[in-house]
Amino acid sequence: MSNINAAAVDLFIAKAKPVTIQVSTANNLDEAMNFALDLCDKQPLGKLMLDTGAPPDESRKKTFSAPGVDEKLWGYLVDGGSKKGFEMIRGGLRKYLAGIDMSFTVADLGIADTASCVVECQSEDERLAAMICERHVVALSKSKIVSESYEAEPFLKAAMAKERNYTAFISGPSRTADIERVLTLGVHGPLELYLVLLEN
Amino acid sequence: MSDETTMKSYHGSLKEALDDDFLRQTLDKFAVQYKANRQLIFADINEKGLISEIADHKEESLDHLEELYEQFTKEASRKGVIVHRAATAKDACDLVCSIAKENNVKTIIKSKSMTAEEIHINHALEDAGFIVTETDLGEWIIQLRHEGPSHMVMPAIHLSRGQVAKTFTEETKENQSDDISLLVKVARKELRAKFAEADMGISGANFAVAENGSIAICTNEGNGRLTTTLPRVHVAICGIDKLIPTIHDALRVIKVLPRNATAQAITTYVSWITGAVNCEKDGPGAEKKFHIVFLDNGRTQLIKDSKCRQALRCVRCGACANVCPVYRLVGGHRMGYVYIGAIGLILTYFFHGHERARVLAQNCIGCEACKDVCAAGIDLPDLIQEIRVRLNKEFGSTMDSALLGRLLANRKLFHTLLKFAKFAQLPVKKGPYIRHLPEIFGLGQGFRAMPAIASESFRDMWPAIKPQVVPGAKKVGLFAGCAQDFIYPGQLKAAVTVLSKLGVNVEFPEAQSCCGLPVQMMGQRQSAITTAKNNIQAFKESNVDYVLTLCASCASHMKNRYQELLEGENMEADVKAFSDKVIDFSSFLTDVVKVKPETFVQGDEKVGYHYPCHLVRGLGVTEAPKTLLKAAAKYQPAPEEDVCCGFGGTYSVKFPEISGVLLGSKLKNLEESGATCVVTDCPGCFMQLNGGAVKQGGKLKVEHMAEFLARHLAK
Repeated sequence: MSNINAAAVDLFIAKAKPVTIQVSTANNLDEAMNFALDLCDKQPLGKLMLDTGAPPDESRKKTFSAPGVDEKLWGYLVDGGSKKGFEMIRGGLRKYLAGIDMSFTVADLGIADTASCVVECQSEDERLAAMICERHVVALSKSKIVSESYEAEPFLKAAMAKERNYTAFISGPSRTADIERVLTLGVHGPLELYLVLLEN
Repeated sequence: MSDETTMKSYHGSLKEALDDDFLRQTLDKFAVQYKANRQLIFADINEKGLISEIADHKEESLDHLEELYEQFTKEASRKGVIVHRAATAKDACDLVCSIAKENNVKTIIKSKSMTAEEIHINHALEDAGFIVTETDLGEWIIQLRHEGPSHMVMPAIHLSRGQVAKTFTEETKENQSDDISLLVKVARKELRAKFAEADMGISGANFAVAENGSIAICTNEGNGRLTTTLPRVHVAICGIDKLIPTIHDALRVIKVLPRNATAQAITTYVSWITGAVNCEKDGPGAEKKFHIVFLDNGRTQLIKDSKCRQALRCVRCGACANVCPVYRLVGGHRMGYVYIGAIGLILTYFFHGHERARVLAQNCIGCEACKDVCAAGIDLPDLIQEIRVRLNKEFGSTMDSALLGRLLANRKLFHTLLKFAKFAQLPVKKGPYIRHLPEIFGLGQGFRAMPAIASESFRDMWPAIKPQVVPGAKKVGLFAGCAQDFIYPGQLKAAVTVLSKLGVNVEFPEAQSCCGLPVQMMGQRQSAITTAKNNIQAFKESNVDYVLTLCASCASHMKNRYQELLEGENMEADVKAFSDKVIDFSSFLTDVVKVKPETFVQGDEKVGYHYPCHLVRGLGVTEAPKTLLKAAAKYQPAPEEDVCCGFGGTYSVKFPEISGVLLGSKLKNLEESGATCVVTDCPGCFMQLNGGAVKQGGKLKVEHMAEFLARHLAK
């Protein structure tokens, strides 16, 4: 636990509020995944953004995607999601551009002073998962929170030294103020962003 | 997008904007909220330190731009990116069109890019038969309306929800309500379909990082991420000035850019893209075709321009528009061609042709609010003045500016003429003001009472009022400035009374002339140089400890501009000695004399203060005037004390419609504060405020600090 920068964690939590990130804590990834599954279960069925020609199907299954997680986590999610009757998606997200109800991502790093989740999205599916869902749950280990962006440089340097890389700072849900400067969430990407801070 | 090439048509366009109530209300609200929010969001970081670091590092990048370009190209090419360089806007458009053709593209989506706007890429692509859709909400709205952006960050800020609802109704052929959250949902749905089908995505780039050949894009909506992810071809259009050496350089700018743009700590998304990332549009395992088009369009030429190259430090935050009092009144369509605000006036000249900047470059009031907030420390007002100089050289000066230039450069002729004018004005003089002027002289000046030339100038009264010398005391040389010497000599006389009471020796070097700022503002550089030299010489001979002036504009011009103006004239030491001695009246009393409150009689008058632009921003003076006010009266704070009163020297004559509205807001704020008197430290601001107050019936008393203090001196 000694490698947690408590001041940075507190700063992250304080800075998350004004950018409408809803923060909670969990002891481990299993708990974070349960949080995402429960949240998806409680939310109303998301609206589809593309006309498929067919009438809206209120009985369709909720969709839950987590393309970036490893086999073990995926197994856990599928197990929990199937019980709740979700359609679980790990790849081929292009087929779901009309919208996904929930995506789950594990962040690589957190930057406290801007409440940014740093996520390396090597695959197209990971990038899409974070953008086409209605609600996005990001899990971030407290030990991976740094105070400010210069401390994220070694991570970024390593990521961008690769042949192919797409890394993002995500600091809240998709937002716009383009009409009369009224802040509105979910213009293209998620309507809500939930951050689960992990003790371990 | 202002494409006005004559002053007459430009004035017509300005009037239209001033009559647009929605625009006025929106921008007013924005200006006030932005300033407050900006202050909060910068509270926990070292703003000035970061800005100065950004300026230094951007300059260094410009010095090594070709090396950075080579390094970037090498790194990016190695990672599968195709890098192009376009010399002109047309070359860039041709390149992008040919990339689209080669890849059998039909539909294109775009995320926000000012560089793409700069080259008018949409027109070129549409002419070539491609279907282009903007995906930034604001950009999409103005695309549907066939308009240009009116702000670099909030392109549709000039439109109301009702106008957007009407536009969306036409686009979707369904009736749309004017509920903003529902309108945003319409965009989400309509644009998702465009994203799904698009073959090519065009983005800009906030940074091109040479050390790893990556680009970074800052967006709030996330459309940049979809634009660079979904289509099988990605073209990033990027000014070559966006090249920086390292990730660290980008992170540094990111600390300031969103704070300055929209008072956010960071944009919701910052995407760092390296190499031809995978793209499964054509099936699993496929790669994206990733092209980067670096645009020159005059930039390498501009780097060689030692005076103006700092314009290339711009990070496109739009803050110079956010704080501009003129932008606040007329909006971006009258404050730029493609680029908006102070930087827009400058970049129009360099990127879109000198002719197009001729009229636009005149519409800067010189209040320096933009310079004060610029993320890259660009001296925007100075560059605008420089562009006026160049425009005068290229197209010739207007008759009035050329005449004024010649006149001010010849002190004796100027002063003789002023004496003549004193008699010539008699038929139209009414007390201390000029009565109704024939329209030819007073065009549009009805919003304020114009002062008459005083019956006795300060230089004429000096021999009679010159105080006795106090042995061993500090000696100040009074710099009168034209307005106080010939129109308001009473203000100088009051200062002499206060200074004598405080035991300060006062000299008045009579060979002094105009400070030169008015001619500099009009682009008459040679006259500005002549007057500057003349003043330095005049004060050198009198050997004073301080050059004291009651005019904030003269002070700021002489202190901050003389050195640069007289570069190469072989008089560096004299200029420095002179500029170092320049001080404003209020600061001299608080910082040098360290005047005590008991020097003045404390009254119960409610007094407000107006900060002259050149005092608060030009000289960075904030506390001195208030300290003095509080010693003699009840200081009554008013909103926006540091916003320009609308004078701006010759600006108020050139743009009376704007000057008048700025003055109206200023007086309204003061009246609503409950003040019965307003004090200021500049005869120009005094002329404006007093002219307006007299015109409104004279309920508000206006005083120069010197007169106010003289009136409250303890016996």
